[in-house]
Amino acid sequence: MLRQTVRDLTREIVEPQAMAHDESGTMNRGLLRKLGELGLLGVTIPEADGGAGLDATASVIVHEELAYSDPGFALAYLAHALLFVNNFYWAASPAQRAKYLPRTLTGEWIGGMGMTEPSVGTDVLGMQTVARKVGDEYVLDGRKIFITNAVEGDVFCAYAKLDERITTFVVERGTPGFSTSDKIPKMGMRASTMGELIFDGCRLPAGNLLGREGGGITNMMRNLEIERLGLAAMSLGIARRCLDVMVAYSMERRAFGQPLHELGQIQRYIGESFAKTEAIRALTYGVAATVSPDSRNRLGTDAAKLFAATAAKEVADAAVQVLGGYGYCAEYRVEQFLRDAKLIEIGGGTIEAHQKNITRDLTRR
Amino acid sequence: MKILVPIKRVPDPALKTKVKDGAIDLTGANWVVNPFDEYAVETALRLLENGEAGARVAGAEIVVVTIGPEDAAQQLRSALATGADRAIRVDAEDKALDAGVVVAALVQIIAAEKPDLVILGKQAVDGDANQVGQMLAGKLGWAQATFAASVELAADQKSVLVGREVDAGVEYKRIGTPGILTVDLRIVSPHSVKNNVTPATFAYPDGPRYASLKGIMAAKKKPMDVKKLSDYGVTTTPVTREVGIELPAARAAGQIVADIPTLVKKLADEAKAI
Ligand SMILES: Cc1cc2nc3c(=O)[nH]c(=O)nc-3n(C[C@H](O)[C@H](O)[C@H](O)COP(=O)(O)OP(=O)(O)OC[C@H]3O[C@@H](n4cnc5c(N)ncnc54)[C@H](O)[C@@H]3O)c2cc1C
Repeated sequence: MLRQTVRDLTREIVEPQAMAHDESGTMNRGLLRKLGELGLLGVTIPEADGGAGLDATASVIVHEELAYSDPGFALAYLAHALLFVNNFYWAASPAQRAKYLPRTLTGEWIGGMGMTEPSVGTDVLGMQTVARKVGDEYVLDGRKIFITNAVEGDVFCAYAKLDERITTFVVERGTPGFSTSDKIPKMGMRASTMGELIFDGCRLPAGNLLGREGGGITNMMRNLEIERLGLAAMSLGIARRCLDVMVAYSMERRAFGQPLHELGQIQRYIGESFAKTEAIRALTYGVAATVSPDSRNRLGTDAAKLFAATAAKEVADAAVQVLGGYGYCAEYRVEQFLRDAKLIEIGGGTIEAHQKNITRDLTRR
Repeated sequence: MKILVPIKRVPDPALKTKVKDGAIDLTGANWVVNPFDEYAVETALRLLENGEAGARVAGAEIVVVTIGPEDAAQQLRSALATGADRAIRVDAEDKALDAGVVVAALVQIIAAEKPDLVILGKQAVDGDANQVGQMLAGKLGWAQATFAASVELAADQKSVLVGREVDAGVEYKRIGTPGILTVDLRIVSPHSVKNNVTPATFAYPDGPRYASLKGIMAAKKKPMDVKKLSDYGVTTTPVTREVGIELPAARAAGQIVADIPTLVKKLADEAKAI
């Protein structure tokens, strides 16, 4: 029923606005608010704290369905609901939850998360943003880059090194010494924005420490798996959409006196795309069933995102190819899905990072 | 006040209908609540709440009922998720049903439940028969207002004023309770349902509401009775028979004409429309 509800709402209110936001490169704040009204911004937050108390599988369903129509918006949703809300929730004190949850669960406030920096991405531990304790406050200096929702966000989880130990802080827009850049133009996922978080002697009250000093890596690791599942689920939505479009087109379009789907080379695109889509689905949902706040599956989530990202990009590429010139043009939107799909090979960990992690885990003695 | 809403599941009208061997191919069909029945549930919800405060009127109850196979429980759960309180499923295979059988069962359910209003969709989009509401009113001897585009519940809850779109304009008709209402698309416009509780200035979003995640969770715990046709003493058998199914002929491609004079000429000579 969750799937049917999100599917209906995607068809009725997400699909119609998607193309315009890809074109204008803007995030639909009102739509996120609407999801907030329906309780979709706190899927994984326990019921007692105003969430739905559902599991990783539920989160995967929502990401898959949204990405079927609007991967860019789904990314903004992921940055809000997982990178901020879920990340924040499991690290926060009751007082912090009381302060930030209500407004982020409704979507009145938009959240994001800042890890990547101009000079370090994959090598997170090399981050250069620093925090110093000065009296009752923490003072942050440094910059974060490629941060989804930076432009319109009201509150962020930001990582910085405090005495060489990575620590998480909650940073509100309006904090002295904190600012954000203009949006950074990008290839795809254009229905979400990204920008920089700039800390220039940013002064945070002690109460904005999230978790404990030096606890940043713990927070990061705790959230990593559901983030990867969310991105794998978005790949699934993208693949499903592209497959649907290519199948429908192959039945309508004729070449050399027959429908496209009668042509062997087209059958290869369709057949392989179907197999890849099914494989993404099986792997993603299979792994999702093993992930919860108290059960982890690092290898599985690395594998799911590694496989899903590239497979979905290939399915999108196949859709463009099957549609020929029409595929390269905007109307059928498959060129957009190809641009969007590419991000998942980079964001939330590059495919090389997943390969490295998997190999490290498998060769560990 | 108690409102009973009979709902039917239909294959998702947004997907293409497939016909195989003279029958509709339902393998792998995605079943959804008949859209007009969703509007009926929405009407019931709007009649019995303060829309602005998002709170149900005290003592109000909405019961949804379907007559169908086990899978149809899912459509009842969808209605419960949007806010209905209780569900009844009368177990029956789709093949064993026609409007007559459904009405015979509903008459008995209504006798047991004693609702003040029964609200139905004007028709189900599968067969488009448009019969159940009218037949039910006839069998019960209750007042009916069909194809409602607007409805206002009187402050004393003893009657409803129903607006019906007819060729010449809007016809208003007041019926007393208990009564039967069948609803049309426009009933889910922002100001179509009034109940003297929700402020008159309040505008609903266009269309039926989506279930919230909380609603979906709550729906799992709401009561659902499962009955058999025989529990209601229904022995009626279908009198309608399906003879065959075929898709309408494909429409010829449209034409783009160069200018207005050509259009007028074509309308006159080819289409013989003017
Ligand atoms: C649209 C978008 C949204 C994003 N949103 C966010 C966000 O909300 N929050 C956030 O913190 N970040 C975000 N990012 C950043 C993203 O997580 C990083 O871009 C990503 O982690 C890679 O870091 P990098 O760009 O610095 O690349 P680098 O780490 O510099 O990598 C460059 C290349 O080198 C390869 N490489 C690096 N190290 C190794 C190694 N050890 N072995 C083999 N190959 C290696 C990489 O795989 C890549 O191919 C976003 C990025 C994009 C594009």
